[in-house]
Amino acid sequence: MDVVVIILTVSALVFFFATTVGLLRFPDFYSRMHAAGKGDTLSSLLILMALVLYNFHEFNLANLLVALKILLIVVFIFMASPTATHAITDAGYESGVKPWSKNPEEES
Amino acid sequence: MIWQLDLSVLTLIVVCAFATIMVKDLLSAAIIFGAYSFLMCLLWTEMGAVDVAFTEASVGAGVSTVLFIAAVHQTTRIVKPRKSGRMLSKVIGLAAALLTGLVLIIAEADFPEFASPFSPASLHLSPYYITQTLHDTNVPNIVTSVLADYRGFDTMFETAVIFTAGLAVIAILRRYKRDDRCDLPEPGVVSGGYPDTIIRFIARQLVPFIQLFALYVVAHGHHSPGGGFQGGVILGASFILLAISYDTGMIIGLMSERLNILLGNIGVLIYAGIGFLCLILGANFLDYSMLSKVLPATDKIMARSHGMLGIEIGVAIAVMAIVISIYINIISHGKYDKG
Repeated sequence: MDVVVIILTVSALVFFFATTVGLLRFPDFYSRMHAAGKGDTLSSLLILMALVLYNFHEFNLANLLVALKILLIVVFIFMASPTATHAITDAGYESGVKPWSKNPEEES
Repeated sequence: MIWQLDLSVLTLIVVCAFATIMVKDLLSAAIIFGAYSFLMCLLWTEMGAVDVAFTEASVGAGVSTVLFIAAVHQTTRIVKPRKSGRMLSKVIGLAAALLTGLVLIIAEADFPEFASPFSPASLHLSPYYITQTLHDTNVPNIVTSVLADYRGFDTMFETAVIFTAGLAVIAILRRYKRDDRCDLPEPGVVSGGYPDTIIRFIARQLVPFIQLFALYVVAHGHHSPGGGFQGGVILGASFILLAISYDTGMIIGLMSERLNILLGNIGVLIYAGIGFLCLILGANFLDYSMLSKVLPATDKIMARSHGMLGIEIGVAIAVMAIVISIYINIISHGKYDKG
């Protein structure tokens, strides 16, 4: 059980790190949102799943309830986070943010 | 408490506080302020003050950020470079600030040492609350019982303060005539030019759960962190979510101005009314134990518990109505139309 928890947490941290690097290093708004949206959602899910499993060291009703609540948060993040990313990206598109291209001369 | 975590969070808080003041773009300032609130929330959770952290998360980071962004959206985004004022006024300001600081530092010397176990508060007051709350009121969450019962008078006027804030916003922003002149630019379009199916669908799916959670927070405030303020703010936020993802007109259809003001009044009246009910029943104002004469099948202790629940509901209704009303007023220039 502990091994699974550690694997989940470490992979979540790796994804968080990738998200941060992507957020800082990507050239324009859209690719940054791409990094933030996907990486954030996945790593939050992983780390919450790790918490759910960690919670089951002693199996009883109270722990089960806590795990259920964390699972509800997982579902919430799974729905809300991509939608928020979509909303921000859509707002950027609506207000006319230009996507990045390799040769900046082409975009007037 | 892990002091490394505390230290890093505190450092980030100070950085955020300075960034909020220094940033020229007001939208960025509002967002950084939201981050600041979340960090405060983290710090309070770390210190064990979960109720305060919950309030900060819902009020500070959630709703007030939304209200700030709405206000920035309707006014102007960039700080105008201010001409440097006269030297004299600056010197006077600095002197006043330094003097006040000095007086506060001198006065602070009279206080008991910070977090001292021998201060009067921790010698007499806190042990009473910690040992007697469950016996007195049958409420496991000490914070709720202190907030709603032992210092209920204070909390009543906190609710009244929120109500007054809502009234002030209505008084300043609300315009009844369509053709009133207005210096502000016309309200911009909040959502895109076309209805966004994804956002609307998800918002529609989430809102019932958010509202259910808010009711749980209100009703379960006796046993877990939460209570009227947090629950009311979450309820209001769920309506604001609808207003953002659809348009403001729809939310006005759901919660009309009249209904909003009525609910705000009712909320405060429930609180004060319970207080007066106690008075009529022959006890002190807001002394819930006398409510056992009215409520069936309760002894004096359970009556205090139920009384707290009653005023929490009142607080929640008032806060929800005021939050929605402030948002609608800001976003629609007080015209109560689509924004």
